[in-house]
Amino acid sequence: MTKTLKDIAAALHLDVRTGEHLLARTVTGGYAGDLLSDVLAHARKGSVWITLQTHTNIVAVASAKELCGIIVVNGRTPEEATLRKAGEEDIPIMVSTLSTYDVVCQLCEMGVKNGEGV
Amino acid sequence: MTLREIIETLQAKVVLDNHDERMVVERARASDLMSDVLTRVNPGALLLTGLTTPQSIYTAEMADVTVVCYVRGKRPQEETLRLAEERGLVLLSTDLPMYESCGRLYKKGLKGGTET
Amino acid sequence: MKSNGVNRTLQAARTQELIYELKVQQAMTTKVITVEPENTMEDLRQILKLHQLSGTPVMNEGDLVGIVSVEDLIRSLLEGNGSEPVKQRMSANFVTLYADEPLVHAVQKFERHGFGRFPVIDRKTKELVGILTKGDIIRCMLQRLEIDFHEQEIRRYKPSDWFAELESDRTTLGLRYLIQGRNFQRAGEASSKLKQNLRTLGIAPEAVRRITIASYEAEMNLVIFTGGGELSAFVEPGKVTITVVDHGPGIPDIERAMQPGYSTAPDWVRELGFGAGMGLPNIKNCSNELKLDSKVGEGTNLQFTVFT
Repeated sequence: MTKTLKDIAAALHLDVRTGEHLLARTVTGGYAGDLLSDVLAHARKGSVWITLQTHTNIVAVASAKELCGIIVVNGRTPEEATLRKAGEEDIPIMVSTLSTYDVVCQLCEMGVKNGEGV
Repeated sequence: MTLREIIETLQAKVVLDNHDERMVVERARASDLMSDVLTRVNPGALLLTGLTTPQSIYTAEMADVTVVCYVRGKRPQEETLRLAEERGLVLLSTDLPMYESCGRLYKKGLKGGTET
Repeated sequence: MKSNGVNRTLQAARTQELIYELKVQQAMTTKVITVEPENTMEDLRQILKLHQLSGTPVMNEGDLVGIVSVEDLIRSLLEGNGSEPVKQRMSANFVTLYADEPLVHAVQKFERHGFGRFPVIDRKTKELVGILTKGDIIRCMLQRLEIDFHEQEIRRYKPSDWFAELESDRTTLGLRYLIQGRNFQRAGEASSKLKQNLRTLGIAPEAVRRITIASYEAEMNLVIFTGGGELSAFVEPGKVTITVVDHGPGIPDIERAMQPGYSTAPDWVRELGFGAGMGLPNIKNCSNELKLDSKVGEGTNLQFTVFT
């Protein structure tokens, strides 16, 4: 069963900060990590990225890896510049008040599989 | 969840052996950002991280985390290992990425730490 | 050294105190091997050898009638063949101690009579309950001094107690750590040492955690952003204050720096798991009071207090 960003946003009560119009995207998997180099090396195209980084660089990484979107955890506020850049690059950014562990648990519950690989 | 169950669930290697496998871990945290670990304190929790620097050990020490599991096959640096040994921490290493590690532990019933 | 001299005097005084405090029954050997008056001196030789004794009381149907020692035995063997009964060689003219007497009485009796051992009897029942040698006294005193020493060690590490003993209007214990800038291998070492010390000082674990999480964040800030500095902890009854001082570059906008998520950290710092703009807010959350002064080009002075 395929899930879209919209499904996830609804199920996890995510606060969609940018890219509302892109939520029909299919989520092919999930990848969690806060080290950009790690995500650059290992996240698979089409995955949703779970991180607590809010720096503009996350948009560059998501764009380079063609990730479908970013979930920022722990209720952290993405920087203005990050949201602006995400708008330009068509990367939806959503915020959860939960921790990485709990967000991943809920995604797994929904059937979103491990998004590691090329 | 016991340490034994965690090791089995994550198919983890035990990097530092000074532990009792019947030891109970009640919560898990997953983060590569040490400040994040420090903001939400879970004494006795399991920390899943990809950060293998000495700071992973100092952070565990300050936050009273007792088990650290390195994800995606990462092995701690030598200095990291030495610090962990001095502090009697349990160190594990799993080939699974963070996402999969969280998912599997969750399915086995290990709770997260958001509500604290 | 002067302090050593003082120590020795104190210890000597403590030893004197002990011989008044301790009772004979605390030092005596309760497992008493006895002989009977009709036993031969050869029997005595074997008993003394078997139990490695240098003397023993002589009992006749439950009554203490004498004391016989290895000296008596030697004399007997020199003068005869050891077939004579114990009663011919024992001292019937012996001195006893009561079990509840202070040890100082025993010491005085040892000096006065020159005996090697005293039978110890119960003051009420007059029954033999033990035997006391000089060796027993020494062993007991040493054990007691050792226990005292351990107790003192523990007490010395309970700040609530020894702070109370130090008379002043305000007593503070200071711990100072030098932090090297840009040295990531050692970043965290100071807070780690501080944590161990605060635990040793008996501060509650929850407070220790808050103090050292905050100090670790501050330490990381010094390592990441400055050329290094000094982290000091001042322990007082009821609170611990940490000051962190560096000499640059300083924080241009303190208000923004205090906002969660704001960070000026370069990418390589983020890849080390820091610099996500959580440091100062986290320090604030952990502490009861916080003061931050900074001048660009001069340095930063951070001070926070955690109530313990």
